[in-house]
Amino acid sequence: MKVEDILRLPSMPAASPSYPMGPYRFVNREYMIITYETDAELLRAAVPEPLVPNADNHVLYEWIRMPDSSGFGDYTESGVVIPCTFNGEPVNFTAQMYLDDEPPISAGREIWGFPKKYAQPKIEVCSDTLTGTLHYAGQLVAMGTMAFKHQESPGGVEATAKHMTKTSCNLKIIPDVDGKPKICQLVAYNLTNITIKGSWTGPARLHLVPHVNAPVADLPIKRIVGGKHFVGDLTLPHGRVLFDYVKDQAG
Amino acid sequence: MKKQDVLGLSAMPLQSPTFPRGPYKFHDRQYMVITYITDRDAIRAALPEPLEPAGDTVSVQWLDLPDGEGLGAYAATSQVIPCVYQGKLCNFISQMYVDNTSPLAGGREIWGYPMKYGKSVLKTATDTLTGTLHYAGQQVATGTMVYKHDNQVPDATKEGHHLARPQITLKLIPDIDGKPAIAQLVSVEFQEVKVKGAWQGPARLELIPSVNCPLADLPVRGITGGLHLVTDMVLPYGKVIHDYLA
Repeated sequence: MKVEDILRLPSMPAASPSYPMGPYRFVNREYMIITYETDAELLRAAVPEPLVPNADNHVLYEWIRMPDSSGFGDYTESGVVIPCTFNGEPVNFTAQMYLDDEPPISAGREIWGFPKKYAQPKIEVCSDTLTGTLHYAGQLVAMGTMAFKHQESPGGVEATAKHMTKTSCNLKIIPDVDGKPKICQLVAYNLTNITIKGSWTGPARLHLVPHVNAPVADLPIKRIVGGKHFVGDLTLPHGRVLFDYVKDQAG
Repeated sequence: MKKQDVLGLSAMPLQSPTFPRGPYKFHDRQYMVITYITDRDAIRAALPEPLEPAGDTVSVQWLDLPDGEGLGAYAATSQVIPCVYQGKLCNFISQMYVDNTSPLAGGREIWGYPMKYGKSVLKTATDTLTGTLHYAGQQVATGTMVYKHDNQVPDATKEGHHLARPQITLKLIPDIDGKPAIAQLVSVEFQEVKVKGAWQGPARLELIPSVNCPLADLPVRGITGGLHLVTDMVLPYGKVIHDYLA
């Protein structure tokens, strides 16, 4: 394999790259997001400086079904998102993410720094209940339930689509071959070409089980704020660096 | 979390790093290595420059790793291409499949081990040492070897020479804008290798074409033989031997 071909590879392995070049298009992506209030001190500890956690101490626990994702296939994801601010701008920080498909795990970690691990999330309509579960290493660690399409979201699909343009942000860490940090950055991206096809709110409940390697319960539930359910198409593009810890330390 | 603590993290995510710092110690790490003859053109195409081919044999290896410190219990299947770098005989790891995120993410992000998620099993099935690999629900590889027929290997350490060769990986990490941030050849040399058992014997190998797990792209033209090893060893950090972006 020639050098120019190596530099054109989107990812490892050269014999069969895990993921192609972006952007990545998602069709019929379905979300269930349960918002809850947690402990202020624990939230502060889970958010890397210079991000500042939201003053309401809200946490978003999410399930996302992705049946048709260009380059990645068919998979499901579940995890923890923390609304924050960066220099006063509202951003959503992805704190933990669990999914059942390797290419989006590798691409997620290696391109944007999504903190992804392999696990078994599931979202399905079980009789009258929209139900999300997450199993990690054989154990149930999260179970969320929401009333099914009881009420259309305030502002309808347009308001949900506008909300989805909010900046998202991750802590990307890639070690060097000697174990020292090679890449240590806050990176940001914004979804594009968003079409929301349906959006609902409703009562919800959430159960989180303590587990050391999938510590979703480390941000305990003090109060459930509510549930959101929506379906849409969107594009995940490349992003930008917000803050570089290695450069910051070097001054 | 404070900025200086962020720089001290071994890996993502902040709340529960996927892998700790190395080195990584393995106990009872078991190998079945099936060496076979393939096409020289296919070897040349699979080896990144400036690595040079070393003959016409490659191997598919099954690994059972019941106790990997920091990583857990898992199994792996890999394809290994012997090669030459600056006159030295090395093993290029061209493909690797594991069923555990800690070594998968750590392997890719530290050294550039070309790991994907696949279900590898190495077990003794009645009289046969048997390796299978399933990828995306389909069986893509089957290896079989006689079980400890040759139990009189006079010098087991000799078999360990196979493990003494530097392993070479092609580490590729994109930048947030999609351009390459890291494009390197990395060399890793196992340390404290202790061969606890070594057996040679007849083996067979079946590789089935699959687009996202293309072991069969190096077709089997003839089997050279099987090697069964039980070892303890340490996987240390590596070193960059070639930087494509420099």
